[in-house]
Amino acid sequence: MKKLAIAALVTAATALPALAQHMKLEDQVKYRRAAYDLLGLNFGSLSAMAQDKKPFDKEEAQSNADFAAMLATVPRHFFGEGTDKNTKAKPEIWTHRADFDAKMDKMVGEAQKLPAAVRSGDMAAFRKQVADVGHACKSCHDDFRAK
Amino acid sequence: MNVTARIRVWDLPTRIFHWSLAGLVAFSFVTGKIGDPWMSWHLRSGYGILTLLAFRIAWGFAGGRTARFSHFLRGPRIALEYAREALSGRYHPFAGHNPLGGWMVVVMLAALLVQACTGLFADDEIATQGPLAVKVSNAFVSRMSAWHSFNEWLVVGLATVHVAAIALYRWKLRARLAGPMVHGWVPVPPGENWPQPAMGHTGLALALLAFAAAMAYVLVVVYPAT
Repeated sequence: MKKLAIAALVTAATALPALAQHMKLEDQVKYRRAAYDLLGLNFGSLSAMAQDKKPFDKEEAQSNADFAAMLATVPRHFFGEGTDKNTKAKPEIWTHRADFDAKMDKMVGEAQKLPAAVRSGDMAAFRKQVADVGHACKSCHDDFRAK
Repeated sequence: MNVTARIRVWDLPTRIFHWSLAGLVAFSFVTGKIGDPWMSWHLRSGYGILTLLAFRIAWGFAGGRTARFSHFLRGPRIALEYAREALSGRYHPFAGHNPLGGWMVVVMLAALLVQACTGLFADDEIATQGPLAVKVSNAFVSRMSAWHSFNEWLVVGLATVHVAAIALYRWKLRARLAGPMVHGWVPVPPGENWPQPAMGHTGLALALLAFAAAMAYVLVVVYPAT
């Protein structure tokens, strides 16, 4: 599973920019939204476990964390110029690109730490990492996602 | 010294309601701003606010004299006349909410009710959903989330005006309004003959609060699980 996740991650990181380059603008919106939806599904599960809303199941949490770490790397490739139609993404993304990229880096970096946090079996570390990812999501949403 | 120099204008349930609501609104604001891992407390706080609002609406019909809507809701002309007088520095004290403050009460309750109800359906698109979001379409969830975000600033604005007004009364009109909301007593102005208003029944208040809490419980726990 771990090897698979890493392989998928590397593929995602290298192949997606090339794919996105020749893609219709509305398809970029479609794929980044799909990645966010699946990221939300997996991260939501981790968050529920971190808050004891559902029992902690290590196998499920590991799978959620691996998927979340991989999926977090996807959306950034699909924010090309002109992909600001029919989306909650604010125009500020393209006028403040450096700030947006920094916040995206932060989110991706925090999400990458999820699998290790689950593997450690340390619930306090797991809860903290889930909260850190949540903050990284929120700080970007606050500035760059329309209500 | 006068024999009846002061009367009690706010009954105990009204006072406890007021400070509980103020505390929960501040707590909700802070936890909402921090986000995870406080979002579960943000939701609980919202359920508490919903319960308090339901109680206050009932108390507006069954509570003490000064807590009743019929006592403090007056026509807009009277409210404007009162505002004009107060702005020119002539302060006419009231045993209870003044005509302008009465409307502010209703506006604040309405804004908080909108905030609490939209929160039930909201989704922050991170890891937190209101308990009723699963029961409605995603388009509706999206709309309610947006309203929850915008109305937040209306609530903040109203709270600011509310506190600023209390300060203005204190410094410009020499009227202390915060203290009576703590202990209930106000001095009777010289030359006025204020009868002691009827206070609400604390037992009834507890029953109404229990009923409000039960309604909120059904709404946020029982119904979403069906």
